[in-house]
Amino acid sequence: MTTIRTFMTDDHRHCDDLFAETEQAMAKNDFALAAASFSGFCTALLAHFDVEEKTLFPAFETKTGMSGGPTQVMRMEHLQMRGLLEDAKEALRTTNSEDYLGVAETLVIMMQQHNMKEENILYPMCDQHLAAESAVLIEQIEKELPAA
Amino acid sequence: MIAFENAPPFAAPLRFFLTAPLFAVLAGLLVLFEGPDLFASRWMPATLAATHLITIGFMLQVMLGALIQIMPVVAGANLGHPLRVARILHAGLTLGCLLLSAGFYFSRPSLLIGAAWILGGALAVFLVAGARALIGVASTSPTIRGIKLALFGLFGLALLGVGMAFGIAGGWPLPFAGLTDLHAAWGLGAWGGILLAAVAYVVVPMFQLTPGYPAWSGWWFPPSVLGLALLWSLAVGIDAVILGRLAQAGLALAGMAFGIQTFRLQRQRRRARADVTYRYWQIGLGATLLALLQLLIVAIWPGAAELPGWSLAFGVLLVAGGYVSFIVGMLYKIIPFLAWMHLQNQGMAKVAAPNMNKLLPDLDMQRQLKAWGLTLLLLLAAIGWPDWLARPAGLALAASSGWLWLNLYGATRRYRHFGRDIDEKLAALP
Repeated sequence: MTTIRTFMTDDHRHCDDLFAETEQAMAKNDFALAAASFSGFCTALLAHFDVEEKTLFPAFETKTGMSGGPTQVMRMEHLQMRGLLEDAKEALRTTNSEDYLGVAETLVIMMQQHNMKEENILYPMCDQHLAAESAVLIEQIEKELPAA
Repeated sequence: MIAFENAPPFAAPLRFFLTAPLFAVLAGLLVLFEGPDLFASRWMPATLAATHLITIGFMLQVMLGALIQIMPVVAGANLGHPLRVARILHAGLTLGCLLLSAGFYFSRPSLLIGAAWILGGALAVFLVAGARALIGVASTSPTIRGIKLALFGLFGLALLGVGMAFGIAGGWPLPFAGLTDLHAAWGLGAWGGILLAAVAYVVVPMFQLTPGYPAWSGWWFPPSVLGLALLWSLAVGIDAVILGRLAQAGLALAGMAFGIQTFRLQRQRRRARADVTYRYWQIGLGATLLALLQLLIVAIWPGAAELPGWSLAFGVLLVAGGYVSFIVGMLYKIIPFLAWMHLQNQGMAKVAAPNMNKLLPDLDMQRQLKAWGLTLLLLLAAIGWPDWLARPAGLALAASSGWLWLNLYGATRRYRHFGRDIDEKLAALP
Protein backbone atom coordinates (compact mmCIF):
# COMPACT_ATOMS: atom_id res chain seq x y z
CA MET A 1 0.00 0.00 0.00
CA THR A 2 1.22 3.47 -0.81
CA THR A 3 1.95 5.47 2.31
CA ILE A 4 2.32 9.22 2.60
CA ARG A 5 5.98 8.58 3.30
CA THR A 6 6.67 6.55 0.15
CA PHE A 7 4.56 8.79 -2.06
CA MET A 8 6.14 12.04 -0.92
CA THR A 9 9.63 10.51 -0.83
CA ASP A 10 9.22 9.50 -4.48
CA ASP A 11 8.37 13.09 -5.28
CA HIS A 12 11.55 14.24 -3.53
CA ARG A 13 13.56 11.91 -5.75
CA HIS A 14 11.76 13.26 -8.79
CA CYS A 15 12.80 16.80 -7.82
CA ASP A 16 16.39 15.59 -7.26
CA ASP A 17 16.41 14.15 -10.78
CA LEU A 18 15.38 17.47 -12.28
CA PHE A 19 17.97 19.31 -10.21
CA ALA A 20 20.66 16.90 -11.42
CA GLU A 21 19.66 17.65 -15.05
CA THR A 22 20.40 21.33 -14.51
CA GLU A 23 23.78 20.48 -13.05
CA GLN A 24 24.62 18.32 -16.04
CA ALA A 25 23.73 21.20 -18.35
CA MET A 26 25.85 23.60 -16.29
CA ALA A 27 28.77 21.20 -16.45
CA LYS A 28 28.61 21.58 -20.24
CA ASN A 29 28.34 25.35 -19.81
CA ASP A 30 25.01 25.29 -21.64
CA PHE A 31 23.21 28.14 -19.89
CA ALA A 32 20.13 27.99 -22.11
CA LEU A 33 19.57 24.31 -21.42
CA ALA A 34 20.37 24.82 -17.74
CA ALA A 35 17.85 27.64 -17.41
CA ALA A 36 15.17 25.55 -19.15
CA SER A 37 15.72 22.50 -16.97
CA PHE A 38 16.01 24.64 -13.86
CA SER A 39 12.62 26.12 -14.53
CA GLY A 40 11.18 22.59 -14.73
CA PHE A 41 12.87 21.80 -11.43
CA CYS A 42 11.43 24.96 -9.85
CA THR A 43 7.92 24.09 -10.99
CA ALA A 44 8.19 20.61 -9.49
CA LEU A 45 9.72 21.77 -6.23
CA LEU A 46 7.28 24.64 -5.71
CA ALA A 47 4.37 22.31 -6.45
CA HIS A 48 5.74 19.95 -3.81
CA PHE A 49 5.94 22.80 -1.27
CA ASP A 50 2.43 23.94 -2.18
CA VAL A 51 0.87 20.55 -1.75
CA GLU A 52 2.51 20.21 1.64
CA GLU A 53 1.60 23.68 2.85
CA LYS A 54 -1.96 23.67 1.54
CA THR A 55 -3.01 20.05 1.89
CA LEU A 56 -0.73 17.74 3.88
CA PHE A 57 0.40 20.04 6.70
CA PRO A 58 -3.07 21.45 7.43
CA ALA A 59 -4.47 17.90 7.59
CA PHE A 60 -1.71 16.97 10.04
CA GLU A 61 -2.16 20.13 12.08
CA THR A 62 -5.93 19.73 12.33
CA LYS A 63 -5.65 16.12 13.38
CA THR A 64 -2.88 16.52 15.95
CA GLY A 65 -3.45 20.10 17.05
CA MET A 66 0.30 20.59 16.52
CA SER A 67 0.69 23.76 14.50
CA GLY A 68 3.81 25.25 16.09
CA GLY A 69 5.88 22.07 15.78
CA PRO A 70 7.55 20.30 12.88
CA THR A 71 5.29 21.72 10.18
CA GLN A 72 6.21 25.22 11.29
CA VAL A 73 9.92 24.41 10.86
CA MET A 74 9.25 22.85 7.44
CA ARG A 75 7.37 25.94 6.28
CA MET A 76 10.27 28.11 7.36
CA GLU A 77 12.73 25.94 5.44
CA HIS A 78 10.48 26.10 2.38
CA LEU A 79 10.73 29.86 2.61
CA GLN A 80 14.53 29.66 2.75
CA MET A 81 14.62 27.35 -0.27
CA ARG A 82 12.29 29.66 -2.20
CA GLY A 83 14.88 32.38 -1.62
CA LEU A 84 17.66 30.13 -2.93
CA LEU A 85 15.61 29.30 -6.03
CA GLU A 86 15.33 33.02 -6.79
CA ASP A 87 19.09 33.46 -6.29
CA ALA A 88 19.81 30.54 -8.62
CA LYS A 89 17.47 31.91 -11.30
CA GLU A 90 19.18 35.25 -11.09
CA ALA A 91 22.61 33.61 -11.46
CA LEU A 92 21.40 31.68 -14.51
CA ARG A 93 19.85 34.81 -16.00
CA THR A 94 23.09 36.74 -15.68
CA THR A 95 25.10 33.64 -16.76
CA ASN A 96 27.19 33.86 -13.60
CA SER A 97 28.35 30.27 -13.21
CA GLU A 98 30.30 30.91 -10.01
CA ASP A 99 27.24 32.29 -8.26
CA TYR A 100 25.13 29.47 -9.61
CA LEU A 101 27.56 26.84 -8.25
CA GLY A 102 27.58 28.51 -4.84
CA VAL A 103 23.80 28.71 -4.65
CA ALA A 104 23.37 25.18 -6.01
CA GLU A 105 25.78 23.86 -3.39
CA THR A 106 23.79 25.52 -0.64
CA LEU A 107 20.48 24.43 -2.12
CA VAL A 108 21.52 20.77 -2.39
CA ILE A 109 22.45 20.48 1.27
CA MET A 110 19.47 22.53 2.39
CA MET A 111 17.14 20.38 0.30
CA GLN A 112 18.65 17.07 1.35
CA GLN A 113 18.68 17.78 5.06
CA HIS A 114 15.12 19.06 4.79
CA ASN A 115 14.03 15.91 2.92
CA MET A 116 15.73 13.76 5.52
CA LYS A 117 13.74 15.36 8.33
CA GLU A 118 10.50 14.96 6.41
CA GLU A 119 11.17 11.41 5.28
CA ASN A 120 12.43 10.14 8.63
CA ILE A 121 10.32 12.09 11.05
CA LEU A 122 7.42 14.09 9.68
CA TYR A 123 6.02 11.72 7.03
CA PRO A 124 6.05 8.72 9.40
CA MET A 125 4.19 10.94 11.90
CA CYS A 126 1.67 11.80 9.16
CA ASP A 127 1.20 8.13 8.32
CA GLN A 128 0.67 7.39 11.98
CA HIS A 129 -1.83 10.15 12.69
CA LEU A 130 -3.58 10.24 9.34
CA ALA A 131 -3.90 6.49 8.78
CA ALA A 132 -7.67 6.68 8.34
CA GLU A 133 -7.69 9.37 5.69
CA SER A 134 -4.37 8.68 3.96
CA ALA A 135 -5.87 7.02 0.85
CA VAL A 136 -8.09 10.02 0.14
CA LEU A 137 -5.30 12.41 1.02
CA ILE A 138 -2.80 10.78 -1.33
CA GLU A 139 -5.34 10.85 -4.12
CA GLN A 140 -5.88 14.55 -3.56
CA ILE A 141 -2.14 15.23 -3.45
CA GLU A 142 -1.68 13.29 -6.66
CA LYS A 143 -4.23 15.53 -8.36
CA GLU A 144 -2.56 18.70 -7.14
CA LEU A 145 0.94 17.73 -8.26
CA PRO A 146 1.71 18.35 -11.95
CA ALA A 147 2.06 15.14 -13.94
CA ALA A 148 5.70 14.10 -13.70
CA MET B 1 7.44 15.13 20.68
CA ILE B 2 10.54 14.61 18.64
CA ALA B 3 12.96 17.49 18.91
CA PHE B 4 12.84 18.90 15.46
CA GLU B 5 14.98 21.96 15.36
CA ASN B 6 17.50 21.83 18.12
CA ALA B 7 20.72 22.60 16.34
CA PRO B 8 23.16 23.83 19.01
CA PRO B 9 24.78 27.29 18.73
CA PHE B 10 27.55 27.53 16.10
CA ALA B 11 30.14 28.11 18.82
CA ALA B 12 29.59 24.58 20.18
CA PRO B 13 31.08 22.63 17.23
CA LEU B 14 33.19 25.44 15.82
CA ARG B 15 35.75 25.50 18.63
CA PHE B 16 36.61 21.87 17.86
CA PHE B 17 36.82 22.43 14.10
CA LEU B 18 39.16 25.39 14.44
CA THR B 19 41.46 23.75 17.01
CA ALA B 20 41.88 20.47 15.16
CA PRO B 21 44.04 21.71 12.24
CA LEU B 22 46.44 23.32 14.70
CA PHE B 23 47.19 19.91 16.20
CA ALA B 24 47.99 18.60 12.73
CA VAL B 25 50.33 21.57 12.28
CA LEU B 26 51.99 20.64 15.58
CA ALA B 27 52.37 17.03 14.40
CA GLY B 28 53.98 18.31 11.20
CA LEU B 29 56.39 20.51 13.14
CA LEU B 30 57.32 17.53 15.32
CA VAL B 31 58.11 15.45 12.22
CA LEU B 32 60.10 18.37 10.80
CA PHE B 33 62.05 18.79 14.04
CA GLU B 34 62.69 15.08 14.69
CA GLY B 35 63.44 14.15 11.09
CA PRO B 36 64.39 10.60 10.08
CA ASP B 37 64.37 9.18 13.65
CA LEU B 38 60.61 9.48 13.75
CA PHE B 39 60.34 6.99 10.89
CA ALA B 40 62.58 4.38 12.56
CA SER B 41 59.68 2.50 14.21
CA ARG B 42 56.14 2.94 15.47
CA TRP B 43 57.45 2.74 19.05
CA MET B 44 59.69 5.82 18.92
CA PRO B 45 58.61 8.41 21.53
CA ALA B 46 58.22 11.11 18.87
CA THR B 47 56.23 8.74 16.64
CA LEU B 48 53.80 7.95 19.47
CA ALA B 49 53.53 11.66 20.20
CA ALA B 50 52.86 12.59 16.54
CA THR B 51 50.33 9.77 16.17
CA HIS B 52 48.29 11.01 19.14
CA LEU B 53 48.52 14.63 18.02
CA ILE B 54 46.69 13.50 14.89
CA THR B 55 44.32 10.89 16.34
CA ILE B 56 43.24 12.81 19.45
CA GLY B 57 44.18 16.37 18.55
CA PHE B 58 42.75 16.28 15.05
CA MET B 59 40.45 13.29 14.60
CA LEU B 60 38.79 13.02 18.00
CA GLN B 61 38.36 16.81 18.23
CA VAL B 62 36.43 16.99 14.97
CA MET B 63 34.49 13.78 15.52
CA LEU B 64 33.19 14.86 18.92
CA GLY B 65 32.51 18.43 17.81
CA ALA B 66 30.53 17.07 14.88
CA LEU B 67 28.61 14.65 17.11
CA ILE B 68 27.53 17.52 19.37
CA GLN B 69 26.19 19.19 16.23
CA ILE B 70 24.49 16.21 14.59
CA MET B 71 23.09 14.19 17.50
CA PRO B 72 20.09 16.53 17.93
CA VAL B 73 19.60 16.87 14.16
CA VAL B 74 19.86 13.27 12.93
CA ALA B 75 18.84 11.41 16.05
CA GLY B 76 16.67 13.93 17.89
CA ALA B 77 19.00 13.36 20.86
CA ASN B 78 19.48 16.59 22.78
CA LEU B 79 22.49 17.04 24.98
CA GLY B 80 21.22 18.84 28.04
CA HIS B 81 23.69 21.70 27.87
CA PRO B 82 25.48 21.47 24.51
CA LEU B 83 27.61 24.56 25.03
CA ARG B 84 28.72 23.52 28.51
CA VAL B 85 29.55 19.97 27.38
CA ALA B 86 31.41 21.42 24.40
CA ARG B 87 33.50 23.71 26.58
CA ILE B 88 34.53 20.98 29.04
CA LEU B 89 35.22 18.45 26.31
CA HIS B 90 37.16 20.85 24.15
CA ALA B 91 39.34 22.04 27.02
CA GLY B 92 39.92 18.46 28.19
CA LEU B 93 40.83 17.15 24.74
CA THR B 94 43.14 20.05 24.01
CA LEU B 95 45.03 19.98 27.30
CA GLY B 96 44.94 16.18 27.56
CA CYS B 97 46.32 15.70 24.07
CA LEU B 98 49.15 18.15 24.67
CA LEU B 99 50.09 16.44 27.94
CA LEU B 100 49.87 12.98 26.43
CA SER B 101 52.09 13.87 23.49
CA ALA B 102 54.56 15.63 25.78
CA GLY B 103 54.48 12.60 28.08
CA PHE B 104 55.38 10.28 25.19
CA TYR B 105 57.95 12.60 23.70
CA PHE B 106 59.83 13.37 26.92
CA SER B 107 59.08 9.93 28.44
CA ARG B 108 57.60 11.56 31.54
CA PRO B 109 55.24 9.24 33.50
CA SER B 110 53.70 12.14 35.45
CA LEU B 111 52.56 13.78 32.20
CA LEU B 112 51.04 10.52 30.97
CA ILE B 113 49.10 10.14 34.21
CA GLY B 114 47.89 13.74 34.07
CA ALA B 115 46.82 13.22 30.45
CA ALA B 116 44.99 10.00 31.33
CA TRP B 117 43.00 11.72 34.08
CA ILE B 118 42.11 14.70 31.95
CA LEU B 119 41.24 12.80 28.77
CA GLY B 120 39.41 10.12 30.71
CA GLY B 121 37.44 12.74 32.64
CA ALA B 122 36.53 14.79 29.57
CA LEU B 123 35.41 11.70 27.65
CA ALA B 124 33.42 10.50 30.66
CA VAL B 125 31.55 13.82 30.71
CA PHE B 126 30.76 13.46 27.01
CA LEU B 127 29.81 9.78 27.23
CA VAL B 128 27.45 10.39 30.14
CA ALA B 129 25.83 13.37 28.38
CA GLY B 130 25.63 11.43 25.11
CA ALA B 131 24.19 8.30 26.72
CA ARG B 132 21.57 10.34 28.58
CA ALA B 133 20.56 12.06 25.35
CA LEU B 134 20.33 8.80 23.41
CA ILE B 135 18.75 6.59 26.02
CA GLY B 136 15.13 7.34 25.10
CA VAL B 137 15.77 7.52 21.34
CA ALA B 138 14.57 4.51 19.36
CA SER B 139 17.06 3.11 16.82
CA THR B 140 14.84 3.82 13.84
CA SER B 141 17.70 4.29 11.38
CA PRO B 142 21.12 2.69 10.84
CA THR B 143 22.64 6.08 11.63
CA ILE B 144 21.03 6.32 15.07
CA ARG B 145 22.03 2.79 15.95
CA GLY B 146 25.49 3.39 14.51
CA ILE B 147 26.01 6.43 16.73
CA LYS B 148 24.95 4.46 19.80
CA LEU B 149 27.36 1.62 18.98
CA ALA B 150 30.14 4.08 18.14
CA LEU B 151 29.80 5.61 21.61
CA PHE B 152 30.29 2.14 23.03
CA GLY B 153 33.40 1.90 20.86
CA LEU B 154 34.61 5.22 22.25
CA PHE B 155 34.12 3.87 25.75
CA GLY B 156 36.27 0.81 24.94
CA LEU B 157 38.90 2.98 23.28
CA ALA B 158 39.10 5.34 26.26
CA LEU B 159 39.22 2.48 28.76
CA LEU B 160 42.15 0.86 26.94
CA GLY B 161 43.93 4.17 26.40
CA VAL B 162 43.63 5.32 30.00
CA GLY B 163 44.59 1.88 31.29
CA MET B 164 47.69 1.74 29.10
CA ALA B 165 48.76 5.26 30.08
CA PHE B 166 48.65 4.25 33.75
CA GLY B 167 50.35 0.97 32.86
CA ILE B 168 53.24 2.64 31.02
CA ALA B 169 53.64 5.27 33.75
CA GLY B 170 53.54 2.70 36.53
CA GLY B 171 55.73 0.16 34.73
CA TRP B 172 53.05 -2.52 34.97
CA PRO B 173 53.97 -5.80 33.28
CA LEU B 174 51.30 -5.60 30.55
CA PRO B 175 51.54 -7.12 27.05
CA PHE B 176 51.87 -3.66 25.48
CA ALA B 177 52.38 -4.72 21.86
CA GLY B 178 49.14 -6.69 21.74
CA LEU B 179 47.25 -4.06 23.73
CA THR B 180 48.42 -1.30 21.41
CA ASP B 181 47.03 -3.15 18.39
CA LEU B 182 43.79 -3.69 20.26
CA HIS B 183 43.64 -0.03 21.30
CA ALA B 184 44.06 0.89 17.62
CA ALA B 185 41.33 -1.57 16.62
CA TRP B 186 38.90 0.09 19.04
CA GLY B 187 39.94 3.58 18.01
CA LEU B 188 40.04 3.12 14.24
CA GLY B 189 37.42 0.36 14.02
CA ALA B 190 34.83 0.21 16.78
CA TRP B 191 34.83 3.98 17.35
CA GLY B 192 36.13 5.61 14.16
CA GLY B 193 34.89 3.08 11.63
CA ILE B 194 31.39 2.79 13.05
CA LEU B 195 31.03 6.55 13.45
CA LEU B 196 32.33 7.16 9.92
CA ALA B 197 29.82 4.68 8.51
CA ALA B 198 26.92 6.06 10.57
CA VAL B 199 27.68 9.54 9.28
CA ALA B 200 28.35 8.35 5.72
CA TYR B 201 24.88 6.79 5.52
CA VAL B 202 23.55 10.34 5.77
CA VAL B 203 26.14 12.57 4.14
CA VAL B 204 27.27 10.55 1.11
CA PRO B 205 23.80 10.63 -0.50
CA MET B 206 23.26 14.17 0.79
CA PHE B 207 26.43 15.79 -0.55
CA GLN B 208 26.78 13.92 -3.84
CA LEU B 209 23.16 12.92 -4.62
CA THR B 210 24.09 9.24 -4.74
CA PRO B 211 21.65 6.39 -4.16
CA GLY B 212 21.33 5.49 -0.48
CA TYR B 213 23.30 2.67 1.17
CA PRO B 214 21.34 -0.58 1.07
CA ALA B 215 19.48 -1.12 4.34
CA TRP B 216 21.13 -4.48 5.10
CA SER B 217 24.58 -2.95 5.03
CA GLY B 218 23.57 -0.09 7.31
CA TRP B 219 22.06 -2.44 9.84
CA TRP B 220 24.88 -5.01 9.73
CA PHE B 221 28.12 -3.09 9.46
CA PRO B 222 28.15 -1.29 12.85
CA PRO B 223 27.23 -4.29 15.03
CA SER B 224 29.61 -6.55 13.07
CA VAL B 225 32.53 -4.22 13.62
CA LEU B 226 31.73 -3.86 17.32
CA GLY B 227 31.33 -7.64 17.65
CA LEU B 228 34.68 -8.25 15.95
CA ALA B 229 36.41 -5.71 18.21
CA LEU B 230 34.95 -7.51 21.23
CA LEU B 231 36.10 -10.83 19.78
CA TRP B 232 39.61 -9.47 19.29
CA SER B 233 39.59 -8.25 22.90
CA LEU B 234 38.52 -11.67 24.10
CA ALA B 235 41.32 -13.22 22.06
CA VAL B 236 43.88 -10.89 23.66
CA GLY B 237 42.39 -11.62 27.09
CA ILE B 238 42.60 -15.40 26.80
CA ASP B 239 45.69 -15.32 24.61
CA ALA B 240 43.97 -17.07 21.69
CA VAL B 241 46.18 -16.14 18.74
CA ILE B 242 44.12 -17.70 15.94
CA LEU B 243 40.90 -16.16 17.24
CA GLY B 244 42.60 -12.76 17.27
CA ARG B 245 43.73 -13.22 13.68
CA LEU B 246 40.22 -14.23 12.65
CA ALA B 247 38.78 -11.08 14.23
CA GLN B 248 41.46 -9.02 12.49
CA ALA B 249 40.63 -10.55 9.10
CA GLY B 250 36.93 -10.00 9.77
CA LEU B 251 37.49 -6.33 10.54
CA ALA B 252 39.58 -5.90 7.40
CA LEU B 253 36.90 -7.54 5.23
CA ALA B 254 34.02 -5.60 6.81
CA GLY B 255 35.89 -2.33 6.31
CA MET B 256 36.75 -3.21 2.72
CA ALA B 257 33.13 -4.07 1.97
CA PHE B 258 32.04 -0.70 3.32
CA GLY B 259 34.78 1.09 1.37
CA ILE B 260 33.99 -0.63 -1.93
CA GLN B 261 30.30 0.03 -1.46
CA THR B 262 30.97 3.73 -0.86
CA PHE B 263 33.19 3.84 -3.96
CA ARG B 264 30.39 2.35 -6.03
CA LEU B 265 27.75 4.70 -4.65
CA GLN B 266 29.94 7.71 -5.33
CA ARG B 267 30.44 6.57 -8.91
CA GLN B 268 26.67 6.67 -9.30
CA ARG B 269 26.47 10.23 -8.00
CA ARG B 270 24.18 12.58 -9.89
CA ARG B 271 26.11 15.74 -9.23
CA ALA B 272 27.96 16.71 -12.37
CA ARG B 273 31.06 18.17 -10.80
CA ALA B 274 33.73 16.25 -8.90
CA ASP B 275 33.97 18.71 -6.03
CA VAL B 276 36.60 18.93 -3.31
CA THR B 277 34.64 16.78 -0.87
CA TYR B 278 34.28 14.06 -3.49
CA ARG B 279 38.02 14.15 -4.25
CA TYR B 280 38.89 14.02 -0.55
CA TRP B 281 36.66 10.98 -0.14
CA GLN B 282 38.17 9.26 -3.16
CA ILE B 283 41.65 9.74 -1.67
CA GLY B 284 40.34 8.56 1.71
CA LEU B 285 38.73 5.44 0.27
CA GLY B 286 41.79 4.52 -1.79
CA ALA B 287 44.13 4.89 1.18
CA THR B 288 41.76 3.04 3.53
CA LEU B 289 41.38 0.11 1.17
CA LEU B 290 45.17 -0.22 0.89
CA ALA B 291 45.54 -0.11 4.69
CA LEU B 292 42.82 -2.73 5.15
CA LEU B 293 44.50 -4.94 2.57
CA GLN B 294 47.61 -4.72 4.76
CA LEU B 295 45.51 -5.70 7.79
CA LEU B 296 44.14 -8.70 5.91
CA ILE B 297 47.62 -9.77 4.82
CA VAL B 298 48.91 -9.56 8.41
CA ALA B 299 45.97 -11.63 9.65
CA ILE B 300 46.92 -14.37 7.17
CA TRP B 301 50.68 -13.94 7.41
CA PRO B 302 51.69 -12.22 10.67
CA GLY B 303 55.34 -12.07 9.57
CA ALA B 304 54.45 -9.21 7.22
CA ALA B 305 54.26 -6.87 10.21
CA GLU B 306 58.02 -7.27 10.63
CA LEU B 307 58.75 -5.97 7.14
CA PRO B 308 60.51 -2.60 7.28
CA GLY B 309 58.04 0.29 7.25
CA TRP B 310 55.00 -1.99 7.24
CA SER B 311 53.30 -0.68 10.40
CA LEU B 312 54.17 2.92 9.64
CA ALA B 313 52.68 2.61 6.16
CA PHE B 314 49.52 1.16 7.68
CA GLY B 315 49.29 4.07 10.10
CA VAL B 316 49.94 6.75 7.47
CA LEU B 317 47.46 5.19 5.03
CA LEU B 318 44.62 4.65 7.49
CA VAL B 319 44.98 7.67 9.76
CA ALA B 320 46.31 10.43 7.49
CA GLY B 321 45.25 9.04 4.10
CA GLY B 322 41.90 7.71 5.26
CA TYR B 323 40.43 9.40 8.30
CA VAL B 324 41.97 12.85 7.96
CA SER B 325 40.92 12.97 4.29
CA PHE B 326 37.32 11.93 5.06
CA ILE B 327 37.13 14.47 7.86
CA VAL B 328 38.52 17.40 5.88
CA GLY B 329 36.19 16.54 2.99
CA MET B 330 33.23 16.78 5.35
CA LEU B 331 34.46 19.91 7.15
CA TYR B 332 34.58 21.70 3.80
CA LYS B 333 30.82 21.18 3.43
CA ILE B 334 29.68 21.37 7.02
CA ILE B 335 31.36 24.61 8.07
CA PRO B 336 30.13 26.79 5.18
CA PHE B 337 26.67 25.21 5.38
CA LEU B 338 26.34 25.80 9.12
CA ALA B 339 27.59 29.33 8.66
CA TRP B 340 25.04 29.92 5.91
CA MET B 341 22.25 28.42 8.02
CA HIS B 342 23.04 30.58 11.03
CA LEU B 343 23.23 33.71 8.82
CA GLN B 344 19.98 32.73 7.18
CA ASN B 345 18.26 32.50 10.57
CA GLN B 346 19.86 35.73 11.63
CA GLY B 347 18.42 37.49 8.56
CA MET B 348 14.91 36.38 9.59
CA ALA B 349 13.87 35.93 5.93
CA LYS B 350 14.26 39.68 5.45
CA VAL B 351 17.95 39.84 4.57
CA ALA B 352 19.47 37.12 2.38
CA ALA B 353 22.58 35.20 3.44
CA PRO B 354 25.55 34.90 1.05
CA ASN B 355 25.85 31.43 -0.53
CA MET B 356 28.37 28.83 0.67
CA ASN B 357 31.02 29.66 -1.92
CA LYS B 358 31.09 33.25 -0.73
CA LEU B 359 31.84 31.97 2.78
CA LEU B 360 34.49 29.46 1.70
CA PRO B 361 35.65 29.88 -1.92
CA ASP B 362 36.00 26.72 -3.97
CA LEU B 363 39.42 27.70 -5.27
CA ASP B 364 40.90 27.91 -1.76
CA MET B 365 39.73 24.38 -1.04
CA GLN B 366 40.96 23.05 -4.41
CA ARG B 367 44.46 24.35 -3.76
CA GLN B 368 44.60 23.02 -0.21
CA LEU B 369 43.47 19.63 -1.49
CA LYS B 370 46.49 19.51 -3.82
CA ALA B 371 48.79 20.36 -0.93
CA TRP B 372 47.24 17.55 1.10
CA GLY B 373 47.73 15.06 -1.75
CA LEU B 374 51.40 16.03 -1.92
CA THR B 375 51.68 15.69 1.88
CA LEU B 376 50.38 12.12 1.76
CA LEU B 377 52.79 11.14 -1.00
CA LEU B 378 55.70 12.65 0.92
CA LEU B 379 54.71 10.92 4.18
CA LEU B 380 54.54 7.56 2.42
CA ALA B 381 57.80 8.12 0.55
CA ALA B 382 59.50 9.24 3.78
CA ILE B 383 58.94 5.75 5.18
CA GLY B 384 61.18 4.41 2.41
CA TRP B 385 63.69 7.26 2.34
CA PRO B 386 63.56 8.90 5.76
CA ASP B 387 66.96 10.55 5.46
CA TRP B 388 65.86 12.48 2.41
CA LEU B 389 62.18 12.96 2.90
CA ALA B 390 61.26 12.93 6.62
CA ARG B 391 61.75 16.67 7.07
CA PRO B 392 60.08 17.70 3.80
CA ALA B 393 57.13 15.45 4.75
CA GLY B 394 56.88 17.14 8.15
CA LEU B 395 57.03 20.55 6.55
CA ALA B 396 54.31 19.56 4.06
CA LEU B 397 52.09 18.24 6.86
CA ALA B 398 52.48 21.46 8.83
CA ALA B 399 51.93 23.63 5.75
CA SER B 400 48.88 21.84 4.35
CA SER B 401 47.27 21.67 7.81
CA GLY B 402 48.03 25.34 8.39
CA TRP B 403 46.39 26.03 5.04
CA LEU B 404 43.33 24.06 6.15
CA TRP B 405 43.17 26.20 9.28
CA LEU B 406 43.43 29.38 7.20
CA ASN B 407 40.57 28.23 4.97
CA LEU B 408 38.33 27.33 7.91
CA TYR B 409 39.25 30.41 9.88
CA GLY B 410 38.61 32.53 6.78
CA ALA B 411 35.11 31.08 6.56
CA THR B 412 34.34 32.02 10.18
CA ARG B 413 35.84 35.47 9.69
CA ARG B 414 33.59 36.05 6.67
CA TYR B 415 30.69 34.61 8.64
CA ARG B 416 31.19 37.25 11.35
CA HIS B 417 31.61 39.98 8.76
CA PHE B 418 28.38 39.02 6.94
CA GLY B 419 26.66 38.67 10.31
CA ARG B 420 27.43 42.28 11.18
CA ASP B 421 26.30 43.28 7.72
CA ILE B 422 22.96 41.51 8.18
CA ASP B 423 22.45 43.15 11.57
CA GLU B 424 23.03 46.57 10.05
CA LYS B 425 20.62 45.88 7.21
CA LEU B 426 17.97 44.60 9.61
CA ALA B 427 18.34 47.70 11.77
CA ALA B 428 17.93 49.91 8.70
CA LEU B 429 14.68 48.23 7.68
CA PRO B 430 11.54 50.22 8.42
